[in-house]
Amino acid sequence: MTTVPQAPPAAPRRARYRVGGAGRLTYLTLLAVAFFSALPLYYSVVVASRDNAALAEVPPPLLPGGNFFANVARVFDTVPFALAMLNSVLVSGTIALSVMFLSTLAGFAFAKLRFRGRNALLLLTVATMMVPSQLGIIPLYMLMVKLEWTGSMYALVVPALVNAFGVFFMTQFLSRALPTELLEAGRVDGCSTWGLFWHVVLPVARPAAAVLGMLTFMSAWNDYFWPLVVLTPENPTVQVALSTLAAGYVNDYVLGLSGTALGTLPLVIVFGLLGKQIIGGIMQGAVKG
Amino acid sequence: MATRAPDRPAAAPPGRPVRAGHGPRRALYRQWVHRLDTKGSPYAYVAPFFLLFSAFGLFPLVYTAWVSLHEWTLLEDEHTFVGLENFSTLLADDYFWNATFNTLSIGVLSTVPQLVLAIWLAHLLNRPLRAQTLFRVTLLLPNVTSVVAVVVIFSQLFGRDFGLINWVLSLVGVDPIAWNEGTASSHAAISVMIMWRWTGYNALIFLAAMQAVPRELYEAATLDGAGELTQLRRITIPMIKPTIVFVVITSTIGAMQVLAEPLLFGTYSVSGGPDRQYQTLALFIYENFTKLDFGYASAISWMMFLFIALAAGVNYLLTRRTKGGLT
Amino acid sequence: MGKLRPLAPMLAAVALTVGAAACGGGGTDTAADAGSGAPAEKIKLTVGLFSDFHFAPLYEEFKKTHPNVEIVERRAQFNDHHTNLVTQLATGAGAADVVAVESGYVATFTPLPDKFHNLKDYGLDKRQGEYLDWKWQQGVSNDGSALLGLGTDVGGLAMCYRPDLFKKAGLPTDRDEVSKLWPTWEQYIETGKKFAAAKVGGAAFTDGSGEHFRAMVEQAPVGYYDDQYNVVAATNPDVRKAFDLSVQMIDAGLSAKLAAFSPPWNTGIAKGSFATMVCPAWKTGTIKDQNPGEGTWDIAAVPGGGGNQGGTHLMLPKQGKHPKEAAALIDLLTSKESQIRLFKEASALPSLPALYDDPAVAEYVNPYFGNAPIGKIFTDAAKSLKPQKVGPKVGDIFKAFGDALQRVEQGKQKPDESWAQALKDIEKIK
Repeated sequence: MTTVPQAPPAAPRRARYRVGGAGRLTYLTLLAVAFFSALPLYYSVVVASRDNAALAEVPPPLLPGGNFFANVARVFDTVPFALAMLNSVLVSGTIALSVMFLSTLAGFAFAKLRFRGRNALLLLTVATMMVPSQLGIIPLYMLMVKLEWTGSMYALVVPALVNAFGVFFMTQFLSRALPTELLEAGRVDGCSTWGLFWHVVLPVARPAAAVLGMLTFMSAWNDYFWPLVVLTPENPTVQVALSTLAAGYVNDYVLGLSGTALGTLPLVIVFGLLGKQIIGGIMQGAVKG
Repeated sequence: MATRAPDRPAAAPPGRPVRAGHGPRRALYRQWVHRLDTKGSPYAYVAPFFLLFSAFGLFPLVYTAWVSLHEWTLLEDEHTFVGLENFSTLLADDYFWNATFNTLSIGVLSTVPQLVLAIWLAHLLNRPLRAQTLFRVTLLLPNVTSVVAVVVIFSQLFGRDFGLINWVLSLVGVDPIAWNEGTASSHAAISVMIMWRWTGYNALIFLAAMQAVPRELYEAATLDGAGELTQLRRITIPMIKPTIVFVVITSTIGAMQVLAEPLLFGTYSVSGGPDRQYQTLALFIYENFTKLDFGYASAISWMMFLFIALAAGVNYLLTRRTKGGLT
Repeated sequence: MGKLRPLAPMLAAVALTVGAAACGGGGTDTAADAGSGAPAEKIKLTVGLFSDFHFAPLYEEFKKTHPNVEIVERRAQFNDHHTNLVTQLATGAGAADVVAVESGYVATFTPLPDKFHNLKDYGLDKRQGEYLDWKWQQGVSNDGSALLGLGTDVGGLAMCYRPDLFKKAGLPTDRDEVSKLWPTWEQYIETGKKFAAAKVGGAAFTDGSGEHFRAMVEQAPVGYYDDQYNVVAATNPDVRKAFDLSVQMIDAGLSAKLAAFSPPWNTGIAKGSFATMVCPAWKTGTIKDQNPGEGTWDIAAVPGGGGNQGGTHLMLPKQGKHPKEAAALIDLLTSKESQIRLFKEASALPSLPALYDDPAVAEYVNPYFGNAPIGKIFTDAAKSLKPQKVGPKVGDIFKAFGDALQRVEQGKQKPDESWAQALKDIEKIK
C-alpha cells in the first residue's frame, strides 16, 4: 500500500475543516430530519409497550407504557425468536461481506479495466435489476426444490452472494473516486491486476464498500417475500418469525409491532455502535482519495 | 455473454505448452502471464455476478417468458399455448394503462423531490458537524422501520376523520380531504410514504460519493469567492455524477416496481382502491397473481420490464448529456 | 461458501433442540407406556396453520394412540399461509401434511381433487351426519367424487351495535328489541334512516356497505354460482337485489365509508364513527382490541336470518407421504370432544350442531358485550344458514362487487355504471 504514490496531495487537515462550516440553520434542518426519521420507529416502540387500544387513540400516546417486556415475552413464547436472530445474523452477515467483496471486484473491472464487451456487460448488469422480482418466485422455488435447498439458509444466501445493485454501485463510485494515475503508478511498480485490487483499489473503495455493506445487511435483514416462501417456520429468519406473529383473522398489531421493534433494535444498535467506525471509514477514505 | 469470458484468455496463449526454462522462454512466459492477467482477469472479476445470475436469475426470466405465451392458470395442469395473445389483450386492457399512468405519476412525484432532497441532505452532512454519527444513522431509520408501522402511522396522518394533516388543514379553513379516494390525493399520500422511506438511504449513498471529492477543489473555490450553492452546483454535482446516475437509475427502477406502499395504503386491496386510483404496475401483476392467472401476470411483468428499461434509459440520457458509457 | 457448509447441520441441531423444548418432551415416554408391539416406524407429520388453533393438547392426545408420530406445527400469517399453499401445490413440493384452509379459500381448492388425498379413502365420510350441512358440503370436491376437507370451526354472523348511539337516536337499546327492529335487510335500512334522521353527531349508522352485501348474497339459496358451478352473478336476481339494497344504504347516507380493518376503521370502533357493523363471531376480538370500553358494543341478530363468515377446513395435500396417520389426526382434531374443548379454550365456534345445546355453548355470555349470550346468537346464525354452491373465484367476484359499492360510496360512479363495470370485471376473471 505504501509503495503507491498518493495522487492528489492531501491538503492539511485544518484547512479542510474550515470549508462550509455548519450554521444554526443546518443543525435545525438536520434535527428536523432526524426527528421525522425516528418518529415512526419511536411510535412503534410506544405501541409495543402498550396494548392494541393505543393504536386507536386520538391524539396518539406520546410515552411508552409498561407492557414492553410482557409483550416481548409473548413474542418469545410464540416463535423461536433466538434461533431466528441467529439465522438472520448469519445470513445477512454472510451476504453483506460477500456482496462487498465481489461487488468491489466487479466494480473495479467495470470502472477501470479495459476489456472487450465491457460496456455491453455493464449494461446487461444494470438491465438485470429491471426484472420485476415477484414473478421469479415460482420458478426460483422450483429450482430450490430441485437443489433440495428449501427450508435451508442456502436458498437465501447463495443467490444473494453478489447483486447488480452492488456491482453498479461500486462501478459508479470507483469510476470517479479511483484516480487512474494511481493505477498506472501501481502498474509501473509491477503490480499484477490482483495486486492493484488488493493494494490500491480496496483502500479507496472502503468508504463506499462500508456503505454498501450496511445497506446490504439491512436489506437482507428485512427481506421478507422470498424467505417466507422458501423457509419453514421451524427454522425461520427474523422476518419470517415476525410474520407469523400477526396471525389469524385479527391482526394483533401490538404483538406484531413488539416483534418488529425487537427485530429492528439490533440493527439500530449495530448502527449506533459501528456507526462511528463506518462513518470513520468514510472520512478515512476521503483522506486517502 | 458471460460464457465468452473464459474463451478469451484461452485464445491468447500460443498453442504449445510453455515451460519456464531458458531466458527468452521465461520472458515469453512472463509476457504470457502478463497478457493473461490484463486480458483475462477483468472477466474473472465480473464472472461471479454473471455466473450467479445465470444460475438463479436467468431461469426465472426465461421461464416467465415461456409462461407469458400460455393461457396458464396456477394449480391447473394443462397450459394452452396462445402465442402473443396475452400481450394483445394487455395492450387493449384499460386497467393496464391505468396502472402504467399511476406508476409514472407516483414515480415522478416521489422520485424527483426525493433526489433533490437527498443531495441537499448529503451536502449538509458533508461537513464537520457535532453528533454527525447520530445524524447519519438516523437517516437510515426510515428504511429499517417495519412497513407495518409505517403504514399504521401514515394512515393516521392521512386519516379522514381523525388525521393530523386534515386537522392542520382545518386550521386554515380547508375541508377534510378523503386522501384515499381521489387520484391526485392518494398519489400524493403514497409518494410521501415512499419519499420518507428512501430519501435518507439515497442521501447516504450521495454522502459516500461526496466524501471522495478532493477537498482542495472546495478550498480553491472558496478562495475564488464561490458561495455554497455555486460550490454544490459547480464542484460537488459534477464530481459525483456517476453516483447520481446510479441513484437516478436505481430509484427509477425502484419507483417502477413499487408495491408495498399502495398495497398497504389500501388495506390489502389488490385493485389499489375501488376505482384503481392507485394501482401500480407491480400491484396489477400481484392482482393477477392472486387471481392465479400466471400467464397474464407474466405478460404484464415482461411489459413492465420494457417500460422500466425505457424509463431508466430516458432518465439516464437526461441525467447525463455527456459522451461516454455509463460511467 | 466453504465457511457456510457446517452451518446447516448446526442450524438443524439448534432447530431440533428448540423444537423439542417447545413440545415439552414426553413423546418417547408415551411411546414406552403404550408399548404397542406395532413396527413403530417413526413418522413426522407437519401441520400448517394460519394462527394458533390451540391444538397442542390435542396432539398429545393423538400421540397416545400413535406413539410413533411426531407432530410439528407451522404457523404463517393468514394471507401468506394461503398464497404459499398455492405455490406449494403448483410446484408440487413443500406443503405440510395437514393444512388449514379458511372458508374464503376452500372453494379455490375443491375443484382440484387430484391435489389432495380423498378423505373417503380413510373412512372419514362416516362423519357427515355430525356436521352442519353447509359446512360439510364446503369440503366436498366440486365433482362430488371426493371429500377433501373436514371442518373445524364456523364463524356465525350477528350484528354488532352501540347502545349509547342508539339511545341518542331514540332507538331501543336492549338486544332483543334491537333484533326485532330488523328481521329483514329492508327493515335494517329503515332503522338506519331513523338513526340518520336523529343526526347523532359524528356517527353514521354503519361502517360500510360491502360486508352487508356479502351477508345478503350468502343468505340467498343461490349466490354467484349455480349448481353446476357456472358464474351467474350477472343474472341472479338475488345478487342484484343485494346490490340495490346496499346502494339504498349508501344513498340514505348510512355508511361511514370506512374500509373494514383499515386503521381509521379501527379508530372508528373506539371513537363511535358508526353505530352498527356486520359481526362474525371472531370480530368480537377485533372490537375488544380497540378497547372501546366494556358494554360500549352489544350484539344483536343479523337481518335476513343467519349467516356465516370464516371458519376452517383441514385438508391433506397429495404430496404428504402419510395420509393414513394424517387422516386419523384430523379426525381427532375435529371430533366432538375436541371441538367443545376448543370452544372452551379458544372460543372457536363448533361446526357440529349437536354441541350447540351443550351448556358450555348455549349459556356462554360475554361480559365485554353487556353479557350478550354470544354462544347462542352465533350458533343460531350458523344453524339457520342454508348450503350454497360456491365456486373457485368467489373471492374475486365479491371483490369486484365490493369495489363497485365503494365507487358508489365515494361518488365516483352512478350505481348502474358501477354495476356494469363490476360485471365486466367478473367476465374477465378466468
